[in-house]
Amino acid sequence: MTAETQDRRRLTAALLGPDAAPVPDGPPANVFRGALVDVGPHLLTLATPDGERRFVLTEETAFWRGGGSAFHELRPGEDVIVRCALGSHWVAERVWAGLARVTGVITAVDGDALEVATGHDRAPAAVVIPYRASGRMQVRHPRLEPGYLFDAIGVWDGDTVRALLPATSQPPYPAAEAPRRPAVRRGSMRVSGMVSWYDPALGRATGGNPLAMRTGLAYPALDRGADCGPGCDRATACAPLPLLSLGATVRLTNDCTGGAAALPVVACGAAASHFCDRCVACDSQERGRVAQLTLASFVALGGQPEAGCFNATLTAG
Amino acid sequence: MIETIREIQAPLLAAVLLLGALAKAVDRTAQGPAALLPARVRRPFSLAHAGVEAALAVALLVLAGPFNDLARGATAVLFAVGLATLYQLRKRDPEMGCGCFGGLSTEPVGWRSMTRCGLFTAAAAGAVGLPGSGLAALSDPTPWHGVALLAEAAVIAVLSPELGEIATRLRHPVPCELREAPPRRSLRRLRLSPSWSAHRPLLASTEPVDMWRHGCWWFARFAGEREGRAVDVVFAVEVGGLRPAVRAAVTDAYEDAPRAGSEDAPPVGTGAACPNAPSDASR
Repeated sequence: MTAETQDRRRLTAALLGPDAAPVPDGPPANVFRGALVDVGPHLLTLATPDGERRFVLTEETAFWRGGGSAFHELRPGEDVIVRCALGSHWVAERVWAGLARVTGVITAVDGDALEVATGHDRAPAAVVIPYRASGRMQVRHPRLEPGYLFDAIGVWDGDTVRALLPATSQPPYPAAEAPRRPAVRRGSMRVSGMVSWYDPALGRATGGNPLAMRTGLAYPALDRGADCGPGCDRATACAPLPLLSLGATVRLTNDCTGGAAALPVVACGAAASHFCDRCVACDSQERGRVAQLTLASFVALGGQPEAGCFNATLTAG
Repeated sequence: MIETIREIQAPLLAAVLLLGALAKAVDRTAQGPAALLPARVRRPFSLAHAGVEAALAVALLVLAGPFNDLARGATAVLFAVGLATLYQLRKRDPEMGCGCFGGLSTEPVGWRSMTRCGLFTAAAAGAVGLPGSGLAALSDPTPWHGVALLAEAAVIAVLSPELGEIATRLRHPVPCELREAPPRRSLRRLRLSPSWSAHRPLLASTEPVDMWRHGCWWFARFAGEREGRAVDVVFAVEVGGLRPAVRAAVTDAYEDAPRAGSEDAPPVGTGAACPNAPSDASR
């Protein structure tokens, strides 16, 4: 975010009051990310931008690396994100290694390899669907063709994502033919729906990459006249989201856990704007994605990245 | 009487064609036959369709004699092809609107839109053979012209589901939080407001340094100077309304903008929301 967009929050608060633009929360205290230095049955060491950090592993510590796994499957140098138990900075509750997610519109298909456009402000992603995951992917993504939506979670393999878990059920129509949002009678700065996540660091150099622990969200309803810009490829979001710009701050409450945070809008969530899906967590009936959280914010708010979503209430003022 | 009815067809059809062309050119949602085409050619098709309709409308109004007959014949062919297309569209996608008036024609193709299309076909064909142009027919109107025009307009209104859509949109406009509004329009309205006049002497430039949107408000930040100190003059302009509310604030300009997470320092030396700034919230 530029200095100008950071100044917007201060000036918005000056005119509309502090509730319209709350001060963003600092980095989460119980989430850490870095490159794996060493791991044993009882201790995990990460190289983070703040130096090496050690975490105690217990019998309850859960590992994920493309699926439930054990500590010895993690490789030194691998991108690892750790969530500590509440109130603790050194007892690891959950550990994810090599996490990757691709959300967007399929632009090219070559056998089991796909290219996915992830939004006008992000690089296209290369995806490979390994044979062992192809059946599972086919059930929820039956049309792996250009123009159709794609959302999957997997692990990094160099610059390619190996897609292992479908993160949603693909709509049966191409992204360009999505039905129009029904008319909204009453606007609100408070909207409920599902949130997903994305990784601003793309799993790279997490030991020293400041993007790795970036907090905030990509918003699917940036105003086209300002920050979304002339190359804007966002659709009208399915949820009735108020139009905002970069630098705005919103309060986000996890409807499942009750966890809440004030987060800045740091990017355009054009890819998320195409989806009109529902997260099955907490039995919510609300459709549409209200935000695409950065990976660090998603984990800090109690989300399970391998589940892909949680239901949340977004308040923009 | 028959001659009177024939004479009003050209201007009436021209008005319908112009409205249809305008609606298709402005609205970007694919409705009607365009929705059946590949996505990349839908917009060009809609624009070409609008262009043909506009050209026929002008021809109906200004051409006379055999050229006008050509325009009337072409209009009849256009509506006849449209009728056949609507029939096919209804069979292929029963939920699709006809797209006759762009995004206003969202009601699924039904007997009303098809009857209307047939009526226009008959009207255009029936007017073939008249000597004068459409404008000439209007130059010397009789009361019977007015009666016939009103009666036919009433029939067309009954056959037009778009009127219901217009009424719905007027009753329930898009809420301001969700309404796309170009920032230039808000700037124009800002410059007409008393707040602008009150703060204009402080501004170093009348072009904003930054603009951003927050729900129902567009914000514009201007560089300024007060008592020898650099200041930011910020306006918030409400989206929508003919006389939107405008708020203003003057804050010290920071060399180093505060960073996210540590920017709770008050921006003031001069007062956050300028106490002297008139807030013309009347609408």
